[in-house]
Amino acid sequence: MNAPSGARGVSLRERILGPDLRHAALAIGLLLVLGVVLIWPLLEVVAAGFQRSDGRFTSEYLRLVLANPVITRGLLKATLIAAATTAVALTLALPLAVLVARYEFAGRDLLSSLVLVPIVLPPFVGAIGMRSLLGRFGPLTQLLGQGHGSGVDWLGTLRVFGVVGVEALALYPIIFLNLRAALANVDPLLERAAANLGATRWTVLRRVTFPLVRPGLFAGCTLVFIWSFTELGTPLMFHVYDVTPVQVFNQIIEVDNPLPYALVVVMLAGSSVLYVLGKVLFGRSIRVAGSKAAALSALHPLRGPRALLAALPLVLVTLVALLPHVSVLLTSVSATGAWYRSIVPREFTGIHYVSALREDLVMPLAGHGPLQLGAVGNSIVYAGLATLLGTLLACGIALIVARSRVPWRGLLDVLGVLPLAVPGLVMAFGYLSISVQCRRLFGDATPAWLDVQRFPVVLLVVAYATRRLPYVVRSAVAGLQQVPEDYERAAANLGAGSLRVLWRIVLPLVFASLLAGALMAFVFAMLEVSDSLILAQSARYFPITRAIWELSQRLGDGLYVASALGVWAMALLMLTLLLASTLLGRKLGAMFRP
Amino acid sequence: MLRLYVYVAAFFGLLAAPFLLQSVVRERSELRPEQGGEMLELRIITPHNQEIRRTFELAFSDWHLQHFGRGVAITYLSPGGSNDIVRYLRDLYGSYRDAAGKLVPEEQVSSGIDLVWGGGDYTFERDFKPMLKPLLLSPALLQAAFPRSDLAGVALYDPDTIAHGSPPRWVGIVLSSFGLIYSPDFYAALRLPAPDAWEDLARPELKGLLALADPTRSGSAAVAYMMVLQRAMETAERRWLREHPELGYDEQSQLRPADEASPSYRAALARGWKEGMRTLLLMAANARYFGDSASRPCVDVGDAEAAAGVAIDFYARVFQDQIGKRRITYHAPRGATAITPDPIGVLYGTRGERELVANRFVEFLLTPESQRLWNLDAGQSPYVPRSLRRLPVRRDVYLDRTGWADDENPFELAQGFNMRQRWTRQLGKLVPIWAAAWIDAKPELDQAYAALLALPDPARREQLRQRLADLPIELDELTRPPAPASEPDARTRAARERMGWSTRFREHYLDVLRAAREAR
Repeated sequence: MNAPSGARGVSLRERILGPDLRHAALAIGLLLVLGVVLIWPLLEVVAAGFQRSDGRFTSEYLRLVLANPVITRGLLKATLIAAATTAVALTLALPLAVLVARYEFAGRDLLSSLVLVPIVLPPFVGAIGMRSLLGRFGPLTQLLGQGHGSGVDWLGTLRVFGVVGVEALALYPIIFLNLRAALANVDPLLERAAANLGATRWTVLRRVTFPLVRPGLFAGCTLVFIWSFTELGTPLMFHVYDVTPVQVFNQIIEVDNPLPYALVVVMLAGSSVLYVLGKVLFGRSIRVAGSKAAALSALHPLRGPRALLAALPLVLVTLVALLPHVSVLLTSVSATGAWYRSIVPREFTGIHYVSALREDLVMPLAGHGPLQLGAVGNSIVYAGLATLLGTLLACGIALIVARSRVPWRGLLDVLGVLPLAVPGLVMAFGYLSISVQCRRLFGDATPAWLDVQRFPVVLLVVAYATRRLPYVVRSAVAGLQQVPEDYERAAANLGAGSLRVLWRIVLPLVFASLLAGALMAFVFAMLEVSDSLILAQSARYFPITRAIWELSQRLGDGLYVASALGVWAMALLMLTLLLASTLLGRKLGAMFRP
Repeated sequence: MLRLYVYVAAFFGLLAAPFLLQSVVRERSELRPEQGGEMLELRIITPHNQEIRRTFELAFSDWHLQHFGRGVAITYLSPGGSNDIVRYLRDLYGSYRDAAGKLVPEEQVSSGIDLVWGGGDYTFERDFKPMLKPLLLSPALLQAAFPRSDLAGVALYDPDTIAHGSPPRWVGIVLSSFGLIYSPDFYAALRLPAPDAWEDLARPELKGLLALADPTRSGSAAVAYMMVLQRAMETAERRWLREHPELGYDEQSQLRPADEASPSYRAALARGWKEGMRTLLLMAANARYFGDSASRPCVDVGDAEAAAGVAIDFYARVFQDQIGKRRITYHAPRGATAITPDPIGVLYGTRGERELVANRFVEFLLTPESQRLWNLDAGQSPYVPRSLRRLPVRRDVYLDRTGWADDENPFELAQGFNMRQRWTRQLGKLVPIWAAAWIDAKPELDQAYAALLALPDPARREQLRQRLADLPIELDELTRPPAPASEPDARTRAARERMGWSTRFREHYLDVLRAAREAR
C-alpha cells in the first residue's frame, strides 16, 4: 500500500505520475542497463555458436556438440563432479549449521565466521597451495610414510577426487550459510507441538523441520551445484581436462573453432534449467506463524566439555579447509626449491615478500615507468568502482523487486542473479568481442574506454560489477524484505517525499545488509580471474589476479613471489569476509541464495 | 562492536601496508631518471614473459634516445600464449578483409598494434605472415646479422626472402631448442638408466610419469613433437639412401625431385613417419596429462610429480639453476634436437613514424649489444637483473661469451639435423590429429594401456603395446590433396573432421582394450 494521495507533502509530480510510473521508469532503465552489460556480451558469445564462417545462421554446431561423445562425456563428468561436490559440501555443512543454529557455546560467533574463510582462496595461489600439499612426495605423502619409490600421485591418478574435495571445501560455506539462516528461522514451538502430539524425533525432523528448512537447503545446494558445474579453476589446477568448463576454455582459444561457443549454449541452458528448477520446486518458503524472538530464545546453552565437543567439528572442518591457505603461506616463506620431500620447507626466507614489493607489476614507483598504480592499486580501484556500480544497480533492482508492483519485476530479479549461472569465461569473451567489434566499426576513432587495448578499465569494472551483482542484489533484497513497509508509510504519511523516505528511513535500515553485500562483491571482484586474464592485456592495467598469474609463470622463484602476493590478498579477503559476517550475521546466507 | 573496529583497522592497515613498506625495500638505484622530452610510443603484442619485456623496453628506449634523441615507451599487449595471440590477431584482421578475403588497403587498417614478437617460426609462417608487412631492414644489416640464412636447414628469417630476395616479413631474434628433461632422483628410485634419446620416453616403466604439454595450447610443444617425427623420417630417409647407393648421394646433397617422387622413397618416408607417430603415441600413453603450457613439464619434473618430460632449453636451464641437477637435468639428444628461431614482424597497418620506430626496434634487436642481453648473467648489464637464459640468433656473438650464463653454441649443437620447413608444412594438419588421438581419446588410451601392461605374458604384452602404438592413420592421408568439400562451411568441416579422428582413435584403443581383456 502506498501513502494516501491526499497526504501532506506529497508532491505534485508524485500526484501526477504516481509511484508506479516512476517504478516502471526505473525498471525500464535498469532493464536497459542490464541489457547492455549482461545480455549483450552473452548474446555475442551465444551468436558465435550459431554463426557459420560466412555469417549465416546454423544449428549444425549445436548438433555436432551433442553428437560428440567426447563432449557429452565432459558434460556427464561435470555433472557427476557437481553432484559429488554438493553431496560432500552438504555433509560438511549440515552438522556445522545445526550446531551453530541450535546451540550456544563459547567461541560460537568467531568460529561461525571462521568457517566461511575457505571461500576466499585467491586463484592460482590456491593451486600452488594444493600442489605443495598434494605433491607426489609432498607433506601428505610424507606424513603417510609413502615418500619412497614413486610416492603417491594425488594430483595425477586421484585428481578427480581432488577436484571434488577442493571444491567441496571451498563451497560448503554457501550451504552452511543458507542452512544456518533457515534453521534459525524455524520456530521451535512447531517442533515442540509436534513432539507433544506424539511424533518421534525422526517424524519431527521429516515432517516439520525439513519442510521448513527445505528452501534454504535447496537454495544452497542448487548454488553449489551450479557453481561446481561451471567451475573452471579447480579442474584446471588438477589437470582434469575432460570436463565441460575446461573443454570450453581449451577450445575457445583454438582458432576458428565454433564448437566451444555451441557448448557454452548447452552449459548455459543446463545451468539455467537447474536454477529455474531450484527456484520453482524448492524456492518457495512455507509461511507459518512464528516469531524471531522464539527462534532466538531456542538456542541451547552448552558448557564445559559439551561446549568443547560442539566447537570441535567447526574447528576441524575449518582447519582442513584452511590447509591450502596454510600451504600458500608456507610456500611464500620457503626458500626457492626448499619444500621438497619434506613435511615443511627445509629453509625459510622472507625474500619473496621483498621481491613482490620490488616488482614493478605489483608496486610501481610513482611517476616512473609506464605503470602508475600497480596491480595492488589497480585491483583496489577496479573492485571499488565495480562495487559502487553494483551497489547502485542492486539498490534499484531491490527497490523494484521488494517495493513495486511493476508486473515484470520478476524478470529483473532473475536478471539480477543470472550471472551466477554464467561461467566467467563466457562473459569475458563477450566483453572482448564487444571491444573488438567497436574497434572494427570505429577504427582509431574508437573511444579509449571501449578499447581493451588502450584503456580496459571501464570494461573491467563493468565486467566485475556484473559478475558479482547477485551478491549485492540478494543482500539488498533481503535487507529490504526485513524492513517493515509500515515505517515507510508512516514517514510518507508524515509528509516525507519518496527520496527523503529512501534516504532517512530505508537506507539506514538496510545499510548493514547493503554494506555486507558490497563487501562480498568487493572480495569476489578482487578474486575475479576470467575477466582479468582476458580483458587486462597491458601490464599497466593488470589487476592483482593477473599479476599473480604473470608472476607464477616467471621461471624460478615465480611461484614463491606469487604466493607472497597471494598471502597479502588472502589476508585482505579474510578480513573483508569477517567484516561482512560481523555486519550481517546469519543474514549473510541470503547472498548465496539463487 | 570492538571486534568490528579491530577488523576495520586491520583492513585499512593491510591495504596501506604495501604502499608503506615499498619505500623501505626499494633502493634508490632502482629509480630510473625520467627521459627528457616527449616519448614515442610502440605497441607490441607478445607472449614473452615480463623479464624479457622489461629488459628490451628499457634497453631500446635508451638506445633510441641515444641515437635519435627521444625515448620510446612500449606498451606490451599480452592476451596469453602464442595461440591466444593468433586468435586475437585473426579476429582483429578478419574485419579488414574484403569479400575475396584479401586485406583492404593499408590506410583503412587501424589495428592499434605495431609489432608481433615471439611465438616461433612455425606460427609466424603459418598464421602471422599474412598480417605482416615487409620490414625496412637494409640488406647490409641482414647480411651482418645472418651470414648464413639457415641453421641446419631451418630458415632464420622469412624463407621467401631466401628464395626470391623479397624484403623479409619476419626475422628470427633468438633461438629455442628442445630437449628431454628428467629427474635423476626419480630415475634412481625407479632403477632406470638416464634417458638419452626420444624413444627412451616411450618405455612402459614411465606409465603415468611423463610430463608433456598440450600441442593445441603450446606452439613450442607442437614443434617439439614435430621434431620427434621428423627425426624418425630423416632416419628413414638415410636408410633409404644407404639402400640406394646407385643414386650417388652423399650426406650433404639435396634429393632430386624425381627421386623424391619415387614410390620407394615415399614408402620409406611413410614408414619413418609411422615410426615417429608410434614413439609419440607411446609417449602420450605414458603422459600423466597434457599440461597447458610449455613450462609445465619443467615444474612437474622439478617437483618430482613426473619422472621425465619434453621441454624448451631455457625453461629447463632456469629450473636446473634454481633447484639443482639432482632434481631436474636437461639433455639435448645429439643430432635429434631441433633449433628454431623465435621471430618478430611489423603488423600490416603500421604506418608513418610508428612504422619507422617499429623497424628501429627490429634493427635494435639484431645489434650485437642487444643480442648479448639474451644470455648475460644476472647483473652483467643494468638491463638484466635476472638472466633471460636464451640463445641469440646472431652467430657472431657466440665468439665472445664473456659474462654469459650458458656456454652452449646452438650452431654446433644442431649437427646437421633440424626441422625441414617443407615437411613441417606438409605435417601442418597434425596438431588436431594429435589432439584427437592423445587428448580427446585419452581416457580410452589410458584404459587400454593399463590393461595391456597388466598382462602376465611379456610377449603378448609387447605385441599389444605395438598394436596400440600403430594408430589407424597413414601419411598419405595428410599429404593427398583434399577431396572436394561437400560441406561448404570450413568450420563445420573442421569440427566434423576432428570428431571423425577422435572416434577412429577411440575405437582403435577400445579394440586393443578388448584384446587385452581377452588375453588375460
